[in-house]
Amino acid sequence: MKEVIVPDYSLDMRGEPCPYPAIATLEALPTLKKGEILEVISDCPQSINNIPHDAKNYGYTVLEIIQDGPTIRYLIKK
Amino acid sequence: MSWWSEFKQHYLVKFWSPIPAVIALGILSTYYFGLLGTFWAVTGEFTRWGGHLAQLFGANPAEWTYLKILGFKGTPWDRIDGVMIIGMFAGALAAALWADNVKLRLPSTRIRIFQAVIGGMIAGFGARLAMGCNLAAFFTGIPQFSLHAWFFAVATAIGCFAGAKVSMLPLFRIPLKMKKVCEATPLEKNKQSAKTKFIIGSIVFFAVAITAITRSFDAPKLGMAMLFGLGFGICIERAQVCFTSAFRDMWITGRGLLAKAIILGMAVSTIGIFAFVQMGMEPKIMWAGPNAIIGGLMFGFGIVIAGGCETGWMYRAMEGQIHFWWVGIGNVLGSLLLALCWDSLAPTLVNGYEKINMLKLFGTYGGLYVNYALMALSFALVVWWERRFLAKKSQYQNNHQ
Repeated sequence: MKEVIVPDYSLDMRGEPCPYPAIATLEALPTLKKGEILEVISDCPQSINNIPHDAKNYGYTVLEIIQDGPTIRYLIKK
Repeated sequence: MSWWSEFKQHYLVKFWSPIPAVIALGILSTYYFGLLGTFWAVTGEFTRWGGHLAQLFGANPAEWTYLKILGFKGTPWDRIDGVMIIGMFAGALAAALWADNVKLRLPSTRIRIFQAVIGGMIAGFGARLAMGCNLAAFFTGIPQFSLHAWFFAVATAIGCFAGAKVSMLPLFRIPLKMKKVCEATPLEKNKQSAKTKFIIGSIVFFAVAITAITRSFDAPKLGMAMLFGLGFGICIERAQVCFTSAFRDMWITGRGLLAKAIILGMAVSTIGIFAFVQMGMEPKIMWAGPNAIIGGLMFGFGIVIAGGCETGWMYRAMEGQIHFWWVGIGNVLGSLLLALCWDSLAPTLVNGYEKINMLKLFGTYGGLYVNYALMALSFALVVWWERRFLAKKSQYQNNHQ
């Protein structure tokens, strides 16, 4: 059984087209404390090619990507 | 897990990595040229659709200079570009249905619809002024050794920069909706509807594949074009190949992943096109005039405002993203507008400029090496830019902590 990761904050970007979900993610993450986890919910499929890559490039850790169905959930740790 | 559900999860549900997918597109588009004698392109056909639209209002588009250049006969069903696009839409739709990725996604604010239509129109107009979009004037134009595609590519990068600045203005931003939570948000998942969508997707896929195969026996080119379209559509949807993001995201987040993938795809394609040309095929060369540069600037600006280019809106529209239906409408209207203005623009921007074939300009092998040198330089620039952008960013973060 996989460990369940519990986020501290949630950012709901459903309905927004790319690049806005990625931009919002990069704006939200700096407001977290170190070690806190942000959940990003996006139904822009293309976010799969930007949110995880940008988060990594900016020094955050991508803990989990759940992609099954039209909505994608990203869990990112500061 | 049974072999089938493993296969399905791995190849039909999980997104594909964009780098191999774009390289596959490069290879597919090379054979497309070899078999059909034309390049993988979409906007020319959108302009013809604009022509059909004008016919409904009593116009006679067959007499328009621009449509004479493109060729305007029959219906989409009788044209290589037309059946390829039907295949592309079907492929993208099937792929999205297989992955349970079709959902009516309504724009969250009215400003997005405005962006979609205006951006789509500017992009459609610019692409047709330059004689091609991200495909014919870039991804499949550069491997044809047409100098105009390089003019267009550089101009598009600049246009995207301007578009990125504008699209980040507060006017286009919605407030962040971040809230404190103590558990992960459950994702909507309806197993039954996913199953139904999978079946519909398979029906779409097989119906179009069988139609194309049947047709290839009496009209080989039309049948093949449709099959290629199906492949292109599946590939761009599964890997979410967005040419807009390739340019745009270098400027806004410093990510060059897709830009690098596209350069690799073009590099793979170039040698193949070169081989076909050596065997006697005519490459498709367009005017290397101010039209390619102005068109590229407009196209770059337009695609970023709209959020997607001509291939981008196609697969997103199939995923049920309403925003991109508007982009598509904008695109067709923009290209129609260009066809109407062509006679007044062409004398200053196009006529009198040459269609420059790099294989003639620099000699056969000289042209090949120059094209590869330019691609290598572009790749190096992307890598350099990424490093510079991220280094600046981390310096800024360190100073503000």
